Amino acid sequence: AGGSPNTNPPYPGTELGGGTAAGGVNARPSPAVDILLKAVGDTPIMKTKKWAVERTRTIQGLVDFIKKFLKLMASEQLFIYVNQSFAPSPDQEVGTLYECFGSDGKLVLHYCKTQAWG
Amino acid sequence: MSCSVAGEEDFFLEEKRFKQYCEEFIKHSLQIGDGWEWKTSKDLGDGYLSKTHFQVRNRNIAKERNNDNIEQTLFTDVEESLDDSQVAGVCATEEVIRYEYHVLYSSSYQVPVLYFRACFLDGRPLTLDEIWKNVHACYQARLLEGPWDTITQQEHPLLGQPYFVLHPCRTNEFMSPILTSSQKQNRHTNYIILWLSTVGPVVGLNLPLSYAKVAPEQNTNADSVERPLS
Repeated sequence: AGGSPNTNPPYPGTELGGGTAAGGVNARPSPAVDILLKAVGDTPIMKTKKWAVERTRTIQGLVDFIKKFLKLMASEQLFIYVNQSFAPSPDQEVGTLYECFGSDGKLVLHYCKTQAWG
Repeated sequence: MSCSVAGEEDFFLEEKRFKQYCEEFIKHSLQIGDGWEWKTSKDLGDGYLSKTHFQVRNRNIAKERNNDNIEQTLFTDVEESLDDSQVAGVCATEEVIRYEYHVLYSSSYQVPVLYFRACFLDGRPLTLDEIWKNVHACYQARLLEGPWDTITQQEHPLLGQPYFVLHPCRTNEFMSPILTSSQKQNRHTNYIILWLSTVGPVVGLNLPLSYAKVAPEQNTNADSVERPLS
């Protein structure tokens, strides 16, 4: 089940990490996490690379967002990688990825545009 | 040979390396109970990765769950050890589908290739259309545009039966950029994990997130990724 759709788009991130507050530990995690998007190969680079993304946004949702931002065609493939070694499933939530692979208050994700099949 | 673009180089996977990555993959699969096995063909000595996976497709479960007459379609993974009585207990509006996934090495393309097929419990094979219904929505646009050049049906090289195949001719093209990038940071990247996590979702196969953290063997070569051909 995909849950309710996110209506909030990612918004440009600030220097403060999404999960921390100055001077202490939050009682509950903030709803958004900081994500740094890095282009791979000759994929277009996003002008804004750092985004605050809601934890429940899925990889598929992030792919759709990046494709729209880069004005890619619906039929072009975009892959997202974590640790440059694994492509998370389309329904993987960004918050989970942040918990597992985030460091220094952010999660680095690499994205790559390509025609995968044919 | 494909051309290098913008500093990328081609990463062809040697068969020996394919087997090493598969071994690492199986090791992790065993640790987390993900159900992959290494199978060998008695005659040829070739080996391949294999996984069988059952999926229950629920329809009209609203009757039991929430009294609304909203049709929902949910997919639930079922363990392979589902026995006959449990399967028989699944109500008529549910269908159980048996998926088989094989990862073979293609010496002509020098890349791994994904073979798969699916059938209902009565043995009726799923058509490509029926399999595509299970393909994640984000890939459907691409599949609808050119289905015949992405998934084809071929005879399994070792088993001789018809399987669907995700065509390998562009594998190197989409693997090279991320491998190039990964190698620059001296990361150990298991080619099989990187590749299968990328192509698997297209055919309904999702790798658990823990594969992303597979640590390198201490005794593997420093060249963790295949060197480009010079």
